[in-house]
Amino acid sequence: MAGGGGGGDGEPEFQVAPMIDVLLVLLIFFMSITSSQVLKVDKNISLPVASHGVKRDDKAAAGLINISWDKTTGQAKYKLDDRELDPNDKDGIAKELQARKGTNDKYRLLIRADKDCHAKYISKALEWAGEAGIDNIAFSGLNREE
Amino acid sequence: MIDVVFVIMLFFMVMAGAVKVEHELKTTLPGNAETSTATEIPDEITIGVSENGQITINEDPVGTPQDKTLDGLFNEMTKLKQAAIQSSSKLLITVQAEEAARYERVINVLDVLARADINNVTFAVAEPE
Repeated sequence: MAGGGGGGDGEPEFQVAPMIDVLLVLLIFFMSITSSQVLKVDKNISLPVASHGVKRDDKAAAGLINISWDKTTGQAKYKLDDRELDPNDKDGIAKELQARKGTNDKYRLLIRADKDCHAKYISKALEWAGEAGIDNIAFSGLNREE
Repeated sequence: MIDVVFVIMLFFMVMAGAVKVEHELKTTLPGNAETSTATEIPDEITIGVSENGQITINEDPVGTPQDKTLDGLFNEMTKLKQAAIQSSSKLLITVQAEEAARYERVINVLDVLARADINNVTFAVAEPE
C-alpha cells in the first residue's frame, strides 16, 4: 500500500532545503525587528513607563526634542533630533520648528525627556512648540520598566 | 549550518521579547479659537501634580505620592468619563504640574488618563505663587 507522502518503503525522507528556507526567513524577520527597535533607545535619557500609550508612529511628520537631565547640576539639556539647543534662543528654536512644520497642520512635536527632569523644563519645550504654532504634542515613554 | 542558524534565531527571538518599545501619550496645547457660533463649554477637571508626587483632583488629594499605579485616580476618571457620556458632555482634563514636579509623575498621570480612554487632555506647568 502506498504511503501518503513517503513515496516508498521505510522511513519518509527528511527535507532539509525547505526547512532552511523557513529558518532563514524567520532569522531575517527577527534580525530586522530587533535592530530597528534598539536604534531608538538613547542611553543618556531614561524614559518613564507609559504602558497604556499608543505605539510610536514613526511615519507621521514629527519633530523630536530630547531632554536629558544632569543630576549633579540639576539642569536639563535640549536636543532637536541630534543637534544641541540653546534654551535661551527661544526665537531661533521657534523659527526652526516653524520652518519644519511648514503648512502641515498635522505636524507634531515628540518630547523624549528623562524621568527625573523637572516639569518646568518640559514646559519650556511646550512654549517653543506654542510659538511655532504646533499644538499637537506627544510625550514618549517605555512600554515597560527598564 | 542548521545548528548555527537555530542558535542565531533563538538569540533574536529572545531579544525580540526583551525589546523595549517606545509608546507615546498625546496631548494638545491650550490655545485660543475664534468661533462665530455658541460653543458648549466642557466640564473641566484639573489634576495637580505636586513637587513631592502628590496627585490632586480639583485640589482634593488622591492616593499617596508613592503610588505608581494610581488606581484611585483611574477610578475617579472612569466615573467622570461615564458621567460625561451619560450627560453627552465633553470631558476636558488639564494636568497642571508644579515647576519642580518630576516628569515621571506627570507621565504616570497621563498614562492613567490613556488607560481611562480620556483623550481631551492638556498639560500646563503652574507658575510659582
